[in-house]
Amino acid sequence: MKYLRVFFLIIVFSFIFAFLNRLVMPKYATNLVEGSFTKEYYAEEKDHEIIFLGDCEVYANISPMVLYENYGITSYVRGNSQQLIWQSYYLLKETLKYEIPKLVVFNVNSMRYSEPVSEPYNRLMLDEMPWSKEKLDLIKVSMTKEENILSYIFPILRYHSRFSQLTKEDFIYLWKDKKITHNGFLINQEVKPVSTLPVQKKLSTYQFAEIDYEYLDKIYNLCKQNNITLVLMKAPSLYPYWYPEYEEQIVEYAKEKNIDYYNFIDRVEEIGIDYQTDTYDGGYHLNLTGATKLSIYFGKILKENYDLTDFRENDKIRKRYEEKLKDYYKEIKEGRD
Amino acid sequence: MVTFLLLLLSIVIYLSFGPINMIYLLFSVFTSFYGAKYLKKQKNKLILTIIIIANLGIFLFFLLFPVKNIVVPLGISYYTFQIISYVLDIYHEKYEPQNCLWKYLLYVIYIPYIFIGPITRYNDVQESLYAKKKFCKDNFYFGLLRMIWGLFKKLVIADRIALVIGVITTNPNHYVGAYALLAMLFYSIELYSDFSGGIDMVIGISKIFGIELKENFHLPYLAETVQEFWRRWHISLSSWFRDYIYIPLGGNRVSKVRQKLNVLITFLASGLWHGTTYLLWGFLHGIMVAFQPIFQTRWKWLNRTITFLIISLLWSFFIWKDTYFLPLQMIGSVFTNFNYVDLCHNFLNLGLDAPNILVLGISILSLIVYDLKQEKILNKIKFSPIEIKVSILFSFLLIILLFGVYGIGFHVQSFIYSKF
Repeated sequence: MKYLRVFFLIIVFSFIFAFLNRLVMPKYATNLVEGSFTKEYYAEEKDHEIIFLGDCEVYANISPMVLYENYGITSYVRGNSQQLIWQSYYLLKETLKYEIPKLVVFNVNSMRYSEPVSEPYNRLMLDEMPWSKEKLDLIKVSMTKEENILSYIFPILRYHSRFSQLTKEDFIYLWKDKKITHNGFLINQEVKPVSTLPVQKKLSTYQFAEIDYEYLDKIYNLCKQNNITLVLMKAPSLYPYWYPEYEEQIVEYAKEKNIDYYNFIDRVEEIGIDYQTDTYDGGYHLNLTGATKLSIYFGKILKENYDLTDFRENDKIRKRYEEKLKDYYKEIKEGRD
Repeated sequence: MVTFLLLLLSIVIYLSFGPINMIYLLFSVFTSFYGAKYLKKQKNKLILTIIIIANLGIFLFFLLFPVKNIVVPLGISYYTFQIISYVLDIYHEKYEPQNCLWKYLLYVIYIPYIFIGPITRYNDVQESLYAKKKFCKDNFYFGLLRMIWGLFKKLVIADRIALVIGVITTNPNHYVGAYALLAMLFYSIELYSDFSGGIDMVIGISKIFGIELKENFHLPYLAETVQEFWRRWHISLSSWFRDYIYIPLGGNRVSKVRQKLNVLITFLASGLWHGTTYLLWGFLHGIMVAFQPIFQTRWKWLNRTITFLIISLLWSFFIWKDTYFLPLQMIGSVFTNFNYVDLCHNFLNLGLDAPNILVLGISILSLIVYDLKQEKILNKIKFSPIEIKVSILFSFLLIILLFGVYGIGFHVQSFIYSKF
């Protein structure tokens, strides 16, 4: 009886411990909304024909809603802030457990990084991701030197100091989520024109690291094994500067593997992007109007060159996407709740 | 078996900090072990002097002539004093020498106390250190509780206060007067929580293994004189200086002038043990011990307050430790720069926001209550049902996890006294 009572106590304390872990974690509902991107995918119906992979250059620039509305393409952006290539690989690997798309479009910007860069970015991507083997692998490859895996398992070890900064948001979204993206796309309607053109700082090396090629190969092989067509893209961001040396390496890789590669920096005029009105941060990312232009342009290429279905003719999916579009335009009109 | 495992574990952990450390430690172990055996057979003052000078010499060499790229052997200030006390005690036939080299090695290298103390006398620990270990529920529980309590003092109190002191010390030109006084008062609490917290962990883990270590603190800030403070603070070190320096110099059995001189020499040695930059600190403590009784009043609370203030002001040498000038300047500024209103306005900009101040306040209050009522509280826990005992342990763990200062964004301060 005595031990039963102790056992019961341990259970109670475990619940308190779990509660505290949840309480101190950032909720990513009104602040740092980028932290909710990974999680939102799991609540979706998994019938996308295209999965976009990459960093902020995809979640800010490609709108799946525009792709559906104009071409009937169903797609999802699995992108996070400064998502590195190995993170994209494991995210794709995990995605394939849920669905096999026809096309994977990978934005190559992250090829410039050769090691884990930032703990806060890791957190944004991984905090809310459900546990799986891929998540464990992701944590292992993503951790910077100062991190340890235990703090991902028990977030209180990382976020305990937030006890003094808890706000109403922490309690409101303790057990519920707030929808932020539209199939992984983050609407931003602000305008901050480009004021200066990027300066080409001289780098010590322009060669992509071996690890980047290793993971690009892994993405390529994973797609091949699953009969998925891999397409490479480079979003039309002026910053950070995309060096011609980078471009050469990607072109060469695409040629060698026989992969299609679209660099939209070279097609800015054709797309109709005006950096005075179509960017929200002076050229790093496109805003809603810019993203809409790019999505219409890219959607046309995708529709014409790859055998994609027009899901507007599918009643079930159309109904679902009509609801999604309603939410999409509601946010555009009224802003996020 | 457990004793052997403790030895093995201690060696492995000690070696993990660099094998070079082990060479110095083994030199001290061999010279003191075989030297003591020899001295037991033959009382030879010359051999005794050689053993002491050789070991003290290494310690003083590292202390006085820090060489770049040569790391000071870990725990040298603690184990050197332990082996000197051992050899001297054997010479004075206070107890029998240890016959087993391995057992003696464990006494010197026992990992919990080699980094932070207490400086343990062989005679005090030998019985429990070498006794056959049996699992004892009470030892396990109270050992664990003591460790967790130590961790609480370190992570929730000491390292939280360190944030404020860190802000104040980064700009000594601006943070003077009231800020300096705040730093000194806070540092009194930080150092006590840090050092006694570390010792709690050492005593706690030892208790789990059935090894009884002597207490190193006894309500030091309740002392009515600086002399009494040193009977309550870092007891293992101050009693070492008393027994092996002050008393051999003649102690109280000499003229008043000579006795005061003995006090000064002892405290200078104590300052030197902390490092050459602490000599003036040791000297001033010596002055206070020698002359403070002159200013004694008949009110206990007033004596305690004055003593606490003196001790706090003198911690300046630990806070602004680079020069002699800065600590003296800071002490002076307390009496000359009355920027107390400015401090009140700026209090929440010194590294801790209001919730953190509240946590700190409650924690310090708990520390005071526990220290004053320790025996009563522990007795009450001892006779409580197991559910209460388990709840106390888990509650403290949760409190430390939530309110501790650790992890990314913070650097858990290594224990202050592990640097001496």
